[in-house]
Parts: sequence; C-alpha cells; structure tokens
Amino acid sequence: MASVAERLQVSPFMTFFIIMSMQIGIGVLGFQRIIAETAGHDAWISVLLAGASSHLILILIYWLLQQADGDFVLLHQRLFGRWVGGVLSLLLVLYFAIMPFVVLSTYIEVVQVWMFPDLKTWEFSLALFLLCLYITFGGFRIVVGICFFCLIIPSYLVFTFWFVLDYSDFYQLLPIFDHSPSAILKAAKQMTLTMLGYETVLFFYPFIKGGKQSAKWAHAAVLTTTLFYTLLTILTLAYFSENQLQRQIWPTLMMWKVVELPFIERFEYIGIANWLLIILPNICLGLWCSSRICKQLFSIRQKMALLVITTICFFCTLWIDDRAEIDFANTILNRAGFYFLYIWIPCLAGITYIVKKVRGNV
Amino acid sequence: MTAPPPSVWTTLQILGSSTDFQTKVYRNDTAGLYLWVSYVEPMVDMEFVARSIFPYLFHCPFSSLEEIHRALPIDDAYISSDPNNVKEKLLEGYLFIRLHETDETGLLVKAQKTLERALTVPEVEFSVVGPKESFIESLETNLFLLRKRIPIDRLTVKMTTVGTLSKTKVAVVYIDGIANPDNVQTVLQRIEEVEFDEIIDSSYIVQIISDNRHSPFPQLLDTERPDRVAAVLAEGKVAIMVDGSPHVLIGPTTLVEFFSSFEDYFLNWTVASFFRLIRLFSVTFSILITPMYVATLNYHYELIPKDLLGTLITSRREIPFPPILEVLFLELTIELLREAGARLPTKVGQTIGIVGGIVIGTASVEAGLTSNVLLILVALAALASFTTPVYKIGNTIRLMRFPFILFAEIWGLLGVAFCFCIIVTHLLYLTSLGRPFLSPLYPPRWRDLKDALVRLPFTSQSKRPETLRTEQPIRFDGKKAKQKRDIDE
Repeated sequence: MASVAERLQVSPFMTFFIIMSMQIGIGVLGFQRIIAETAGHDAWISVLLAGASSHLILILIYWLLQQADGDFVLLHQRLFGRWVGGVLSLLLVLYFAIMPFVVLSTYIEVVQVWMFPDLKTWEFSLALFLLCLYITFGGFRIVVGICFFCLIIPSYLVFTFWFVLDYSDFYQLLPIFDHSPSAILKAAKQMTLTMLGYETVLFFYPFIKGGKQSAKWAHAAVLTTTLFYTLLTILTLAYFSENQLQRQIWPTLMMWKVVELPFIERFEYIGIANWLLIILPNICLGLWCSSRICKQLFSIRQKMALLVITTICFFCTLWIDDRAEIDFANTILNRAGFYFLYIWIPCLAGITYIVKKVRGNV
Repeated sequence: MTAPPPSVWTTLQILGSSTDFQTKVYRNDTAGLYLWVSYVEPMVDMEFVARSIFPYLFHCPFSSLEEIHRALPIDDAYISSDPNNVKEKLLEGYLFIRLHETDETGLLVKAQKTLERALTVPEVEFSVVGPKESFIESLETNLFLLRKRIPIDRLTVKMTTVGTLSKTKVAVVYIDGIANPDNVQTVLQRIEEVEFDEIIDSSYIVQIISDNRHSPFPQLLDTERPDRVAAVLAEGKVAIMVDGSPHVLIGPTTLVEFFSSFEDYFLNWTVASFFRLIRLFSVTFSILITPMYVATLNYHYELIPKDLLGTLITSRREIPFPPILEVLFLELTIELLREAGARLPTKVGQTIGIVGGIVIGTASVEAGLTSNVLLILVALAALASFTTPVYKIGNTIRLMRFPFILFAEIWGLLGVAFCFCIIVTHLLYLTSLGRPFLSPLYPPRWRDLKDALVRLPFTSQSKRPETLRTEQPIRFDGKKAKQKRDIDE
C-alpha cells in the first residue's frame, strides 16, 4: 500500500462526507428535466435504480482496491505493464482535470443567467481557482475539511423544500410504472451521471485510516444521496406538470421561487450563492485527484502538477463560455464518467479476477 | 588582550556605577568586626532589613560568614562567590554581606521589596455569579491563586526565564498525568526558543509562540480568571503564566472556546446553552449584516419583499452615496468611537459614547449622509460584536467584517459566499499547539460537542475533551453521577 503518514490520514467516516459532497454538485439544479423527458412521472424509479447500480459499482471498487493494496494507479501498471497502464491512468488525470472546469463553467453560467448578467467569467474563475489552490495546497486534510463544511453548512437548504410541499400534487405521480422498462432504464442511465463522484474513492483510499472500514460509510453516502435525489425528484414531479417541467432548465431554482419569508423574497438568490459552497468540494477534490495521479505517474511534486492543471483549467473556462459548448463539455464528462464506472470498472474487475486465478496474485 | 575572568569585585564595581547601588560599612561592637553590606536600594525592603536583619548583625557575637548565616532567621540566605549569581541576586533585591571589602565570598540574604496591587474583580471577563478574583501582575500571587484551587501534588510548574533584557519569569503549569506530555513539551520548547529582549506581557509570548503568527485569529486563549485556568487545567490543557502579566495563556484552544464565557458554567445548562447559541448567532449577524446590506442594495434588491422595500427606499431616497461608502463611513465611525472610548479615562469615555452614538448618528441621518436603517444595522452589529466573552476574538470579528464588505461590493451575495470560503479555509489551516483549531467541528469529535456550541449538564461531562488526547480521559464515573430511578421510588 502506498504509505501515507498517519497524521495526513482522516478517519473512515469522513468518507461519507467526501463522497456525498462530491456526488451533490451542480447537477442537482437541473437533473429532473432530463430524466423526466424519458421516464415521465416514473423518473423517481430510475433514480432508485441508478442508486442501486452505484452500490454495485462501489462494491466492485472496494474489491479492486483490496486486490491492489489501495493503489489504483499501480493496479493499472501491474495488469497492463508500465506504458499501457500509464496511459490508462493518464486518461483519469484528464477526466479529473476536466471536472473542475466543467463544474465551474456550468456554475458561472447559472450565475450569469440568474444573478449577474455582467459577471466577468475570467475574474470570477481566476479568484475561485486561486481559492482552490489555497485549499489544495493544504493537502488532503484541508480538502476534506472543505468537503465537510461545504456539505454541512448548505444542508439547511433542504428545509426550504418544505415551502414547495404546499403547492405539490402527489397524484401526478400516479399511475406508477406507466412507462416501459426500457424508458425507465434509459432514464436511470442518464441519472447515473448525476450520481458520479464516488469514483474518487479509488484515489483517496490510502488517505483513510483503516481504509477497509470506510466501505460502510461510502455505501451510506451513496444511499443518502440516492434518497435525497429520489425525494427531490418526487417533489419536482409533484410540483411541476410534465409539460411545465420540460420548459425548465433548472427546476430546482424554479422551486425556490415559491419560498416566502417575511424578510426574503426570490430565495433562489440565496440558493445560488450557497451553491458556491456545494461546488467547491467538486472542484477541489477534482484538482487534488488529478494532481495526485500525476504525482504517482511522473514522480513530480504535487504542487507543480496542481499549478499546471489549475492554470489549464482556468484557460479552459475562458475558452468555453457559451451554452452549447458548456453543454458539450458536460456531455463529454458525463459520458467519460459513465464509461469509466460502468464499463471499465467491471472489465477491470474481470481481468483482475482472471489474472489472480492464473498468477495467484495481482 | 583577553578580559580577566569576572570576579565578584569587578561585578560590584560595574554595579557601583549606578548611584542607587549602595555599599555601607557597619561595625558589630559585640564581636569587634566590620561588615560590608551591598544592595540595590530600590529593590530592597529597608524596613524589613532594619527590623529583621540588622538586630542580628550588630548584636550577635560571631567571627565568620557561616556563623552569621546560622544566626539569621532568614530562610533564603546562602554563601556565594560566583560573580554572576551575586549580580543576579543583588538585582533581585538581596543583600550581599562581606567581612572585608575585597572579599570574593559573601553572604546573600533575601530582602526583596514586594509591591503589588490588591486582588481585584475581573474587569475584562466579569461575571455576575461565581468567584470575583482575578490575576494580578505578580507571578507568585498568581501561582498561589491557582494552587489554592488545585491542591494536589501533580500540579506541576516549570519555570523558565525569557527575554535577554527583561529576564521575565515564565511558568508553564499543567497537571501531570492528565495533560498530554506532547502539548507540554511543545509549549516548553517554544518558550525556550523565544528570541526577544524585553518581554512585557503574556500577549508578547502569544504572538511569538503562536502556530501562525500572521493570522488575525488568536490561537491561545488568554484569561484573567484563576477559576477558568483551574477548570481548563483539569480538562488537560496547559497554562502559561508570565511574571508581570495579569493574563494567563491557555492552550491548546479551539475556536468555539473563544465564544464560551466562563459564566456559562455557573448557570444551569439550559440557560447557558441558550446564551451560547445567542452569542454564536450575534457573531454571525455582526459579521454578515453590513455585507448583506451592501450586496442586497447593490445587486439584489429583488431579495427584499415589497413592504420592506418601501421602508428601505424611503430611508435611502436622499442619500447621495452608494451603499458601500455609506457602510464604510458608519463602520469606521463606530470603530473610531470604540478606539476613542478605549483610550480615554472612563468618565470622558462615556461622554464620547453619548456624543458619538446620539449626536453623530442622528446628525448623519438628518443630514442625509446615511440611511437610518443602516444606522440601526451598524449599531446592532457593533453591539453584537461586543457579546464575545473573550476580548481578543471581538477584535478579530470586527476586522473580519471589512473583507466581507469589499467582496459584497464586487460580487454581491456570491462575494459573501466566496469570502466565507476563504475564511473557512484559513480556519482549517490554523492549529493551536499543533492541534486543529476548528475541533470539535472539524475534525468532528462528536463527544466533544457536549461542551462546544451548547453546554450539556455536568453529569454528561464525564470525559475530557478528545481533541486534547489527555493521558487520563475519564474525569469521573459518569454512571455513578447519572443514577437512573424508576417512577415512585
């Protein structure tokens, strides 16, 4: 196992916060429309299915980690040799490096549409990437601290959905199983994209004290996220009619519009500002993971890798700034995540299994 | 040419260049001897000397220093010929007695003058209930106050001297067998490594030995209450006492500790917890309210409900400045008032408060420079910042507001969230004597939350804080304290 000093490690139950804060991201603002497009008012079943499949993949991930003594990069190299394995890991660097800038671009787009039409993309992304450098330079413990606070603090937003209940009509969910299984499965596939985030465990695993015990917390995180998404989907389906929902890009933001407090109107402004906290762990952990793999692959200093990756990410946010391009980048990222988790991880598990049978060890 | 080795004679010559250094010759008629007595006059209690030392010196028959030593009823007296020791002791207020002027050996007798003010009521950390004594400038008295509260043999005091000029005595106090030896070692080592000439106060020490010297957040708690120090020593913390300073430093500390008043422990836990939550709320309010005002009025007026918007518009209709200038103007006024009030004698200070609060406030609203809504908000925010029980964190909180205001001006609510992230990151970086500063919030120590944001009853405080990694984590038998009874028994 790649030895990590104990003072740098975090306790196993922090896995819960890391994974959950990674899973809940910018997708929450608008995933409902996409799954409702194919599965209609049965979309919540798709969410549950996607959650169940995530649990299966997570089991495979933990099995793989145990075969590889916690070092996924090393596993690639042991199975496919130095070069092919290296290239495969390099693809992962790319995947985790794309994540921060796609998340940030999407967020900046939301801000520009809802709050600040004249927010300068470069100013804000520069400031945010500097903040992320500040965070990631502190090492994994600081990144986990950010994951923790950025999940706990905005969690009060859950209560705001109470206001939506008054305007919801749950009969809209009936009849159940109104859509074909293939439609529900297709929506489940789309939903897996919103569930992404738990794959990071492959890389931060050595930083967990007594790594194996973290499995139950990882599953608890995926379970909580699934339940949260399911409830949110049910609420959205009950609040919007199907036609209405198709016209919303960000249904969650629309739902906040009904929140009424004696001193605050247009609650979605507060929500969007708070969402900065939600996306921060995504960006920071993405940067951390990609730079960590770089360090393992090329034996360079992680600070150097971080600086390079962050600079590239910053210029990417400048370069990609209209709706179509951001959408495209999102699709690429989601597809990469899907293939990685649902195709590559099972394949890898199969290969590892066979190699283990033949060679006796991996 | 090499300097001759220092002798007692040359040492006395050097001291003699000051006029307050005296060497007097007395004659003992009984023995027919002359006595040379040297001392630094301001440091010596002459009344004590005349009453308790001279009668023995002049009227007892003796022929050597040893005999004088035996005859004197003074504990702290010994014969020395080490020039450095003689110099040090003379400067502390000892008498140096020789039988001949050129003798290199003499008797050192303690005749120190001790002048200290009486124990007073704590002024910075006043509490309505509970003990009313506070530390003073004398280390001996402070140690006495502490020992009186913890009369056990394991209360350990480690003395060192810091400061090349001030030779300030610093005592590191902890309870052996409870405090983590690592923490004690860290404190001792950092104090040994202090490089400074004149250590005036414990706040010098705190700035020199803090983990992060540039952070506006204080990383060691300072208190003037002996009861508080006794309580935290029992928890397993380490105290640093500095001679000449009425404030004692406590470490390792955490952010939440700065918001806990010691009075919380004198009140019932429900009331105490309520007050703590109020304080946390007021701190959040104090930091965020003016930035929110700037953000809302600059960018998000849609946030304000229609009815409230009317009030706001009416109050701001005549104001010629953008919200940021208005806010900075009022915030700086408040800071000026506080600064002026702190520098002036109490009576004048009150007048300034009234002049500032009423005259400037009302006048600036009537002159149309600021809106009255903002005036209320700024005044409330200032009031809220004074609810912090520890003075130093109150200063930090007032400073914290300004970056928030600037970011609110640039990016509105988004800027406020951004600045919040920066500060959370900074706090995550901070440590106190190597222990995480944000504990028990992060890393989460669920058990320690019993005395963090709220304070649970004493019966559930049977374990010492986990963060401190104490040697003896159990305070008392929690099960015995919490005996359960059935109905009607």
